[in-house]
Amino acid sequence: MHRALTIQPKRIGPGCYIKILVTEVSWSDSLRLVRYKVSMPLVFKLAFRNLFHDRLRFVATLIGIVFSIVLVTVQMGLYVGFGRMVTTMIDHASADLWIVPKGTKCFEDPSLLAVRNQFRVRATNGVIDALPIVVGFADWRIPSGGTTPVFIIGSDLRAKALLPWNLVEGHLEALSMPDAIAVDRSYFDRLGISGLDATAEIRQQRVRVAAVTNGIRSFTTTPYVFMDFDRARLRIGISVDEATYILVRLSPEANVNAVRGQLLANISDIEVLTSSEFRNRSIWFWLFGTGAGAALFGGALLGIIVGTVIVAQTLYSSTKEHLIEFATLRAIGSSNLYIYKVIICQALISAVIGFFIAALIDAAIVRMTAATALPIVITSNLTLSLFLLTVLMCVASAIAAIVRVTRVDPVVVFAR
Amino acid sequence: MTKLVIEAIEVAKVLGSGAAQVQALKGVSLSLKGGELALLMGPSGSGKTTLLSVLGCMLTPTTGTVRVGGRSTEGATLEELTKLRRDNVGFIFQSYHLFPTLNATDNVRLALDVRDEPTKEAVARSKEALAKVGLSHKTGAYPRELSSGEQQRVAIARAIVANASAILADEPTAALDGENGRAIMMILSTIAKDRSRGVLVVTHDARIEPFADRVIHLEDGRIVREEQKIVLTSIRSQTGSG
Repeated sequence: MHRALTIQPKRIGPGCYIKILVTEVSWSDSLRLVRYKVSMPLVFKLAFRNLFHDRLRFVATLIGIVFSIVLVTVQMGLYVGFGRMVTTMIDHASADLWIVPKGTKCFEDPSLLAVRNQFRVRATNGVIDALPIVVGFADWRIPSGGTTPVFIIGSDLRAKALLPWNLVEGHLEALSMPDAIAVDRSYFDRLGISGLDATAEIRQQRVRVAAVTNGIRSFTTTPYVFMDFDRARLRIGISVDEATYILVRLSPEANVNAVRGQLLANISDIEVLTSSEFRNRSIWFWLFGTGAGAALFGGALLGIIVGTVIVAQTLYSSTKEHLIEFATLRAIGSSNLYIYKVIICQALISAVIGFFIAALIDAAIVRMTAATALPIVITSNLTLSLFLLTVLMCVASAIAAIVRVTRVDPVVVFAR
Repeated sequence: MTKLVIEAIEVAKVLGSGAAQVQALKGVSLSLKGGELALLMGPSGSGKTTLLSVLGCMLTPTTGTVRVGGRSTEGATLEELTKLRRDNVGFIFQSYHLFPTLNATDNVRLALDVRDEPTKEAVARSKEALAKVGLSHKTGAYPRELSSGEQQRVAIARAIVANASAILADEPTAALDGENGRAIMMILSTIAKDRSRGVLVVTHDARIEPFADRVIHLEDGRIVREEQKIVLTSIRSQTGSG
């Protein structure tokens, strides 16, 4: 046996009520919500119905928004992914300061500095440790024949200055074995190897895969190869008194600027950068020094412009079609603000629905590109920014419609 | 003593400019009292709609004075005219101008929503207004589900729901057959029984003359004749009893 129970309308906001009708199912002694109805504000209802009245036009509006937002998201997602990728080594290094050869543009721009500088660094007040690392390109001889370039990263394994992460096979300790290296599994095909314990040659010297990582990819598509500092130096081909960078660890109470000043005073032809500064420099070089960033931002801007134009055009034509209704509203005494609210509400509804669809497509794109050389990364901040951008774009698109409706003369209601 | 809801004194209105300039009204003076149903009749181009627009604060007169609810429209800005209209005038149009995407209640509720009436009260008052025009059974119907006569009744409910003191109707029976036209006029004459409210109807339809207290004839932008009607009393009585 069922008993119906009606709950009185409850105010949930200015001019907005929710009415809930529930049915009490006495047999199971449980309440089930069978129907709810929201008495929505009339401005919203009018806007909503105006949009859905002409579904084809609404679909065109949504396509415009979705196209625009997906394009902007892809561009911005690439930007974030690109930014993360070019700084991934800096982000994973254990350093407060980086001593780099003067003029270094990015992590993958290896110049050399004297390794003996590490002793001067260690002697500086506030410095706990100074750890030289070497990076550089080398040729990897594929076991089945041919060569491919690799980017070697060598560091002191015990000091853990810059070690591989996301290990899926093998152990870090194994890297201390002779010839041991770590590579990412996404590069197996490229390197012509099958997995753990596979062997190959770098600079005519044998290497053996002792650890396998997942997701350490280079945007240059050149595989990273991790190994011990001394063996890396040999395989890159630099002398024993040279290194690429010196990573500096500071005591908690050390003043970064004071240490930096002392280092610069004592060592010539170097720069001392915080991790953040080195990260920004790398991003700036790759994104703006190469023009890649301009292309990404250009694409995003194009997306915004195209989206704004499409939404503006469809909103304008929708407003034109409903012009007599807006004139009627004015005739019955509505203020301009009331009419603007209807149009902006239309824009906002379009924005929310369009953004939701675009977000679903974006999620699929993120998933598809996750394992590629340049994954699209969408952070929560980026999502929020894109939502705000969508809203802004749609509201800006409403301006043309608002200008048109502002000019409508209520007298036209007598003419038809 | 009944109050004046609208008053026009020596109103002239020039429309257009240059060679296309037309003097639509040439010194029109009239008043609409509460409790009165007046007809404004005249041939096409006589200035009826222009006069209705001026009286309804949609247009400002070129010269002369219009007082709506006791307030002069002279020097009023567009927003001030809109407020005057919102506070004092209810319109009924020949082609109803209902919103096709809203049901009858919401169409009526619009007139209250533009006045910031809270939703709950607005819905109740809209249903009350629909009941007054005999549509309490059609509150959820959309315009496409209503006959022409019913649509005009929804439009009347929209005009009266906010208690406007002046109801201005533009050819309200023009699109209706005789029976529906009479029904609409009966509703309007019932509305005009309220002494705080006056109804001015622009029409070509001589069949509705018996419903009027007064008939004003406009020709070439001037009032040429006014007739007081006494037959109205009996029709009013019928309406009241019916």
